[in-house]
Amino acid sequence: MPPQTKDSTALAAPEEGGSCVLSEDQALRMIAFLTSAAEISIHEPTYYGTFRLVDAASRLIAFMLEHDPPRSGEFLRELKTELDTKKVWMMWDRESYFDFLRATPAVVAAEVKRQADEDRAASEVSA
Amino acid sequence: MSQSQTQNAVADTVFDVIKSRRVSRTFTGEPVDDDLLAKLVNAARWASSAGNRHVHKFFITRDPVKIRLVRSFSPGLLSEPPALIFVLTDHEVAARERLQEGDDANAVDVGTAAQNMMTMAQALGLGTCPVTSFSKSGVREVLGLPSTLTPELMLMVGHPVPVDRSLRTNAPKPVRVKDLTYWEAAGQHEPS
Repeated sequence: MPPQTKDSTALAAPEEGGSCVLSEDQALRMIAFLTSAAEISIHEPTYYGTFRLVDAASRLIAFMLEHDPPRSGEFLRELKTELDTKKVWMMWDRESYFDFLRATPAVVAAEVKRQADEDRAASEVSA
Repeated sequence: MSQSQTQNAVADTVFDVIKSRRVSRTFTGEPVDDDLLAKLVNAARWASSAGNRHVHKFFITRDPVKIRLVRSFSPGLLSEPPALIFVLTDHEVAARERLQEGDDANAVDVGTAAQNMMTMAQALGLGTCPVTSFSKSGVREVLGLPSTLTPELMLMVGHPVPVDRSLRTNAPKPVRVKDLTYWEAAGQHEPS
């Protein structure tokens, strides 16, 4: 059984031991946001789409933090601060904003890799 | 004080209000009094209206649940303010006034109404932010509006949290009015 969260409607991660990081209500609100962003992207400047995606990531992190994700919490808190501080650069310093967009996936990749390395080490120990 | 001096003093005050207004997206939790919200809408009512048609209606909500739902369908709504005022197109009035689809005057009237509200809010010490990046169909649904009313713009309203704008080290230089102005001919930035 996956670990219980504060929210009984939280969606369970499929894999054994996965954390529950999004409630049904939060998932629905994310869907509302994403479909609305898709609609307004029809007529807004194309680079606004990048802002919507970064903002969606920030909103997703906010929801996840409500469930105290045990492995990613600290990383996500720092990433959210970074996203919220720099996403608004789009409005007055577009080049710095684009540099921030180019750099951010590597920051996330480092955390994904760190967790993958942890998992690999744990599986080797258990085997 | 002469009439001219009085007019200049009034003009200076109005310009100070216009010039000091900034977009506010962060608000204290303090509710906005209903009479202040009513003053904003009254200011909007006195905005210019093409052909005196008054095609627009105003919808006010202070309900946090409604505001949270609206935010879900509004990527441009970056926080949840204490109040939202929507400028709605009333399609029954538009049809009666024979407004054509795509008539720019409609958008202009939305803008003048919003600007009047923002100016009045600044004079009252309130903060505002106009938002148009939202799903009209989604917001119409969560507000329970009939199909004859379309939300065109929403105005975030609240008591603003002061923002230290000096932090913006990468902010662009302010735009000069001279650069935006042509006198008598395109490209001529000074009166001849």
